[in-house]
Amino acid sequence: MKVRTDILRMYKEIHGWVGIVSGLALFIAFFAGAVTMFEEPLQGWASPPTSLSAPVPLARAPELVEAVLAAHPEAARSYDVHLETGPENPARVTWSQGSRRNPQVFLAALAPDSTLEVEAQAASPVAQFVDMLHQQVGLPFAHEIAMPIMGAISLLYFIALVSGVIVLLPSLVSDFFAVRVGKNVKRMWLDVHNVLGIVSLPFHVIMALTAVVFAFHDEFYDLQGAAFMDRGAPRAQMAPPALPSPRAQRPQLLTPAELAQRVESQAPGFTVREINYRMDREGTPQARISGRDPRFGLRGPTFGMVEADPVTGSLTDTTYMPGLQDAWGATITSFFALHFGSFGGAPIRWSYFLLGLAGAMLFYTGNLLWVESRRKRERKAGAVTQTRATRTLGALTAGVPLGCVAGIAVTLAAAKPLGIEATAGIHSAIYYAVFTGFVAWALVRGAARAALELVPAAALAFLTIPLASMAFIDIHPWSQPLVDAVSVALAASLALAARAARHRARHGPRDSIWSHRRREAVSDTPPHAAAHATAPERKPAI
Amino acid sequence: MTPPLTSRNWAGKTAAGLVLGLAFALGVSGLLAALLDVRDSFFSPQGQFTMWIIAPIWCAVLSLCFLFRSGPRAWLWLGLAAAAVWLTLFAVGSLS
Repeated sequence: MKVRTDILRMYKEIHGWVGIVSGLALFIAFFAGAVTMFEEPLQGWASPPTSLSAPVPLARAPELVEAVLAAHPEAARSYDVHLETGPENPARVTWSQGSRRNPQVFLAALAPDSTLEVEAQAASPVAQFVDMLHQQVGLPFAHEIAMPIMGAISLLYFIALVSGVIVLLPSLVSDFFAVRVGKNVKRMWLDVHNVLGIVSLPFHVIMALTAVVFAFHDEFYDLQGAAFMDRGAPRAQMAPPALPSPRAQRPQLLTPAELAQRVESQAPGFTVREINYRMDREGTPQARISGRDPRFGLRGPTFGMVEADPVTGSLTDTTYMPGLQDAWGATITSFFALHFGSFGGAPIRWSYFLLGLAGAMLFYTGNLLWVESRRKRERKAGAVTQTRATRTLGALTAGVPLGCVAGIAVTLAAAKPLGIEATAGIHSAIYYAVFTGFVAWALVRGAARAALELVPAAALAFLTIPLASMAFIDIHPWSQPLVDAVSVALAASLALAARAARHRARHGPRDSIWSHRRREAVSDTPPHAAAHATAPERKPAI
Repeated sequence: MTPPLTSRNWAGKTAAGLVLGLAFALGVSGLLAALLDVRDSFFSPQGQFTMWIIAPIWCAVLSLCFLFRSGPRAWLWLGLAAAAVWLTLFAVGSLS
């Protein structure tokens, strides 16, 4: 396809700049996002065993709820009955207090002698931390500050996608599926970058647009409200519901088992996972039921939900109920499901995991290309050594992705030794310690040497996950072989990358930021001569 | 012969794309809300849909605003487009 050359040149420059500004943050978002595809298995892997008694059978849930409400009447406002229990979710009944963003969760169980046991939530916060890293593109700021930055990066990301496609249009047919592996390493990286970008373009368009909405939806709603809403209408009161007085007649609720059975009979194929009971403002009991149905897209990251009447079991709001929603509800749900990969079950989850890793590679290769072409441009302009900016960017291109990857691995592994002491703050401190360590190392040592040292270090970081599994197997039963297997696979791929990097440093072009040979040349020649000695085969700069 | 496009004057074009692109997208979402009769129920599925379409429109304008020859031209044309949408909103009485 023909595109005017000035348009091509302009978009090529735009692509380079928006790419270099957003690339490293997007790498972190994509790698952490790929990891959150396995949020549930990770939570199962990382959550320490609880000292609570085993969850009571579902049939005895009403007895447990009675005991909880008698001892903790504030729980009547909102409590959850879990139909599925496991290491990450060891209690049949839970409730929470505090703000929505920072809730304190309590777990309840019945001891063998039927007395009530209560424990503050012990589920590992590490999966949540990785999710936060994903949402905030790795920025250690408060949510309110990180989100607009993430939104700005998403806008740049969309511009990068459009400009990248425009630049590729003229050679799309001839370059597609052509990955030229050979002497010209930059050509190979460009081919890899193009094929990754084009093949996963629909995925990236979805991610960019949904990320813009996730970053700015409050602002969008506020703007719409300010511009279009009828200001005469009274605003809804947001006061918390009044506590039901203990003496008030409480309507007879269905047992959780009965309610789940009635919901499932109205929606065959839907599996109930959790029932949230709560009081609305008038003190009427309500139930929100979450569960899954792999035949449909789900509004939540791993579940869909439906409102039901806990007295009769009839469905009262099916806006987000997989399979029972109207076309508008299904459309909105599809936006979320396409971002979360919450449709189609395990095959889609794995595809999203791989697409996320491929996306991370797309940004990494993009950064590599930028650094290499900048080096070439500087050389043409007469510079013989790399400028400080190029060197710094080269070092960051190695340090940031590897630091992110290793930091996530180590903080995940730390969940086992930390046990019930684990908090989001400790996991965050561990991650950023490893991350800044890697970045500082890369800046001090330079891209070439740092890559050789940090890639094996990142591979080792992944091995700490199965090591932690084995070391704590006595006190922390092994439940998720998947987590250990994926970690070993990632460690192995990093080990392969380390081999390739060693090869490149020895045999690649000497003036590359990845070359090692300059140091040897420098060692016994004065600096000026050494600079020329780095590229004797090239034409002298004019 | 028109001068070739360049990325040198990106600042004016980008500013137009950011500001007027958002104004235009917000206006279109308002027209759609009027068409779907969303009224005050912006959290209904239809209301959410009108919020969602802001993002693709804004992103498209922002990505393609570089095709204007200069910053002032981008401001002029995008301003006219935004004005057209908001005048229509005013005419159909959708503004609060």
